[in-house]
Amino acid sequence: MSKTRVGVYICHCGVNIKSTVDVTKLTEFASKLPHVSVAKDYIYLCSDPGQELIKNDINEFNLNRIVVAACSPRMHEPTFRKALRSAGINPYCLEIANIREHCSWVHEDIEKATKKAESILAATVAKASLLEPLEEKEVDVIPTALVLGGGIAGIQAALDIADTGFKVYLVEKDPSIGGHMMQLDKTFPTLDCSACILTPKMSDVGNHPNIELLTYSEITNVGGYVGNFKVTIKKKPRYIIEDKCNGCGNCISYCPIEMPDPFNLNLSKTKCLYIPFPQAVPACFVIDPDYCRYTLNRECKQCEPVCKELGAIDLKQKEQFIEVDVGTIIVATGFDTFDPTLKPELGYGLYPNVITGLEFERLSSASGPTTGDVMINGKKPKNVVFIHCVGSRDKTVGNEYCSRVCCMYTAKQAHLIKDKIPDAKVTVFYIDVRAFGKGFEEFYDRVKQEGIIYRRGNVAEVYKRGEKLVVKAEDTLLGQLVEVETDLVVLAVGMVPRADSNTVNNLLKLSQSSDKFLLEAHPKLRPVDTASDGIFLAGCCQGPKDIPDTVAQASAAASKACIPLSQGKVRTEAQVAQVNDLLCRGCGFCVEVCPYDAIELKPTVIAGETVDVASVNEVLCKGCGACVAACLSGAIQQKSFTDEQLLSMIASLGESYE
Amino acid sequence: MNIQKLKDEAKRAIGRKEVTHLIGYQKGSYGFRISPIFIETKEELDRLTFSPLCSLSLVNYLTIEGKPAQVQSEEEKKSKAKKVAIFVRGCDSRALNQIIAEKGLSRESLYIIGIPCKGVIDLKKIEAQFPNVVDPAEVVEENGKYIITINDQTHEVPKEELIADTCKVCQYPTPLTYNKLLGDKLEGNPANYDDIQKLEEKTPEEKWSFWQNQLDRCIRCYACKNSCPLCYCDGCILDKLTPQWVRRSVDTNENLMFHVTRAFHLAGRCVSCGECERVCPVGIPLMKLNRKMEKDVKELFDFEAGKDPEVKPLLNTFNIEDPDDFVL
Repeated sequence: MSKTRVGVYICHCGVNIKSTVDVTKLTEFASKLPHVSVAKDYIYLCSDPGQELIKNDINEFNLNRIVVAACSPRMHEPTFRKALRSAGINPYCLEIANIREHCSWVHEDIEKATKKAESILAATVAKASLLEPLEEKEVDVIPTALVLGGGIAGIQAALDIADTGFKVYLVEKDPSIGGHMMQLDKTFPTLDCSACILTPKMSDVGNHPNIELLTYSEITNVGGYVGNFKVTIKKKPRYIIEDKCNGCGNCISYCPIEMPDPFNLNLSKTKCLYIPFPQAVPACFVIDPDYCRYTLNRECKQCEPVCKELGAIDLKQKEQFIEVDVGTIIVATGFDTFDPTLKPELGYGLYPNVITGLEFERLSSASGPTTGDVMINGKKPKNVVFIHCVGSRDKTVGNEYCSRVCCMYTAKQAHLIKDKIPDAKVTVFYIDVRAFGKGFEEFYDRVKQEGIIYRRGNVAEVYKRGEKLVVKAEDTLLGQLVEVETDLVVLAVGMVPRADSNTVNNLLKLSQSSDKFLLEAHPKLRPVDTASDGIFLAGCCQGPKDIPDTVAQASAAASKACIPLSQGKVRTEAQVAQVNDLLCRGCGFCVEVCPYDAIELKPTVIAGETVDVASVNEVLCKGCGACVAACLSGAIQQKSFTDEQLLSMIASLGESYE
Repeated sequence: MNIQKLKDEAKRAIGRKEVTHLIGYQKGSYGFRISPIFIETKEELDRLTFSPLCSLSLVNYLTIEGKPAQVQSEEEKKSKAKKVAIFVRGCDSRALNQIIAEKGLSRESLYIIGIPCKGVIDLKKIEAQFPNVVDPAEVVEENGKYIITINDQTHEVPKEELIADTCKVCQYPTPLTYNKLLGDKLEGNPANYDDIQKLEEKTPEEKWSFWQNQLDRCIRCYACKNSCPLCYCDGCILDKLTPQWVRRSVDTNENLMFHVTRAFHLAGRCVSCGECERVCPVGIPLMKLNRKMEKDVKELFDFEAGKDPEVKPLLNTFNIEDPDDFVL
């Protein structure tokens, strides 16, 4: 290798760095460091002229290692790598010294900050002079996507990808797609019928030639990496053959078993041989094995002979496992509503006339158990109280976040009560009303003018007095305790992460934010990406949102997911782990700790004996370094982060403090 | 321990076709010393012994041979099924379990003869009471006393006075893994970390000065590392020159670096055999460091090293339920 010639470039970042770090002194210091051929400072290195400066010097001074002292490598490392590449040297011969976030932004004393910047820079130069050129590899992308979850988010994402021209697998755990949106009555603030706007999209999914719909299915294993995921899907037995069932429903009346209807949130009964709702996609029946007498005890079997002609009923169906190869994955697993029994003072579960917002939607819906009449114990309620923020903005249940939809769905439900029962007295208890979306404030204003009473105050307790319920609260505007007698209490329950989300999160290795919803790669600039390449987020699995935001995010995730599919190739990480075969003793610690399944033990001949030696799949490796730390014998090193390189930094830092 | 029974079992072991040799104990060249013996033929069997003086762990002699060859097929398994027979005590069996779990040895390559162990004598203690003993001495344990025979003279010493400190808190005197067990199983002591708790109660300054005093005496002979049955990596980072993680100089910083590295590398792996402390020529209480790790591992993860060769080593398993309140 030719002589190491390091070029050091110090950025002022306008005044961001210059105001706290003496850049002239730092440049002079840098020029005296070992292996440094040239050191310069410049006002904005990330600008075109700044990059040109580096490129020209590479040619003029024949530089082969570059150190840029500027902002975090998370900002401009890719920018400067490109500059190095275009100047003809390996882009991995670059090292960034972060003297902004790690220094100028967090200090005030110029002298001390400059001294610290010198230490950081000296350590970075020490490492840079030991850097090795690295190469990225390219791998083909399987032009297929997988969407997890068949609610409105999953439906929109799948349709967008399919319309772009790529094949999509849409996996839904319930017997039909539709999700929570299908259960809603009207939607705020426009009062469209939820089912009416959703079912055309559902039907599009069902008929789209590019969409393979896998309902009543769950993923059980995910392997691979962006461009080449291998996903195992479990198809639960429906006990109905999907291709044969035409949805005629002749079988229903022969089924003797009734069970609570999950679609109506157990407010009504259905047969255990059922179709979730009339517009279900696929229009195919399903038998609930927890209730069916045949699947439980091998008795009954009354339905099977009815469907003789089609032969669609197969009570002996077994679960099936399918393996699919996909390039990208969209997670749209949705949410659960908050369980109000965790707030026992509100009386949910104790009094039948305390219901949740979602249960109200079913009561109010024309397809619901009362065909749209809001009835409690067969009577129309004359007094109705809505309670905001149940399970949201509430530290006592660990949910500090706002669920973003409850203010508006409560306003809509209050309006629906007034619409259906004009003489009803409706009271809403709120903390403050958040009507931030398009048309929200106008709608809230309209609802207030309909004679609905908004009282600011947290509800302390709901209890029974005679036939009536009493809601006790402090009206914080009046500054007094109030009691409101009512026939019906509707709890505006918020959104929480799905109870069963951990399985999927673990399979896909997704991180959660402190609210337990899924974490995006960057809160502002990469809101639909995840930390795992090729996996994207859509809808309420990432955080509470309303339907328009969900649809927008789903389309965003779909277009992101299409980028690798249309490029056809992805570049792999170059800073990967490598194994020294002679030192490896085959313990497999690295295999266990690797979060990407990138390492396996392979029989290798060492000194005439076949022994197990760890082997890194460079396409799968993300360069996290977990294996390096786990390796007891130091046989694994991560490129660009080798022991030599890191120790040279530590040694340099030590010297500057001696 | 009936020596004849031990010899009979050893005879049966080396009589087996697949057993290449047996690792056991023999009397040392002088005083209370014991040394290992590697037996290939029946003629050597007479030299075998076992007594409370057998404080040495034989497990080390298995791992110095290098990493186990990979066995690829069932047939190969049979043809390559060469075994080494070895005598193990409770702690040794835990060391074996841990090494097997780490794939440092394969269970198929071992024929394990377990000895339920009532505790061994601390050589430093007995040599202090009986200094300058040249001729090989004999020790047997009877009714809580050691009967010591030196040049045909017998002495009786209460067991408490001579037994190694590690053995006083031993939880697993009976081997956990064996092909043959010599004698009846023994009850272990309940877990007892009183000494560690006392150390934990000290202030950071007191702890620092305690350990500084202890570690300043270290002469970096590496006896602790070399005698440890779990220190068996081919390329130990302490031996590396490029890069050199720990410098050879004997001063507080480098000594601390060495001992902390050693302790960390044993976290979730140390089986409390006490070899390191036994061989330390300057008497550093290394087991305090090891047992602090052992206590933490037990409290945090409910894990004990070497209890089961099938259980994955602690530090390369991850459980979402693992406590993480120590993360800042």
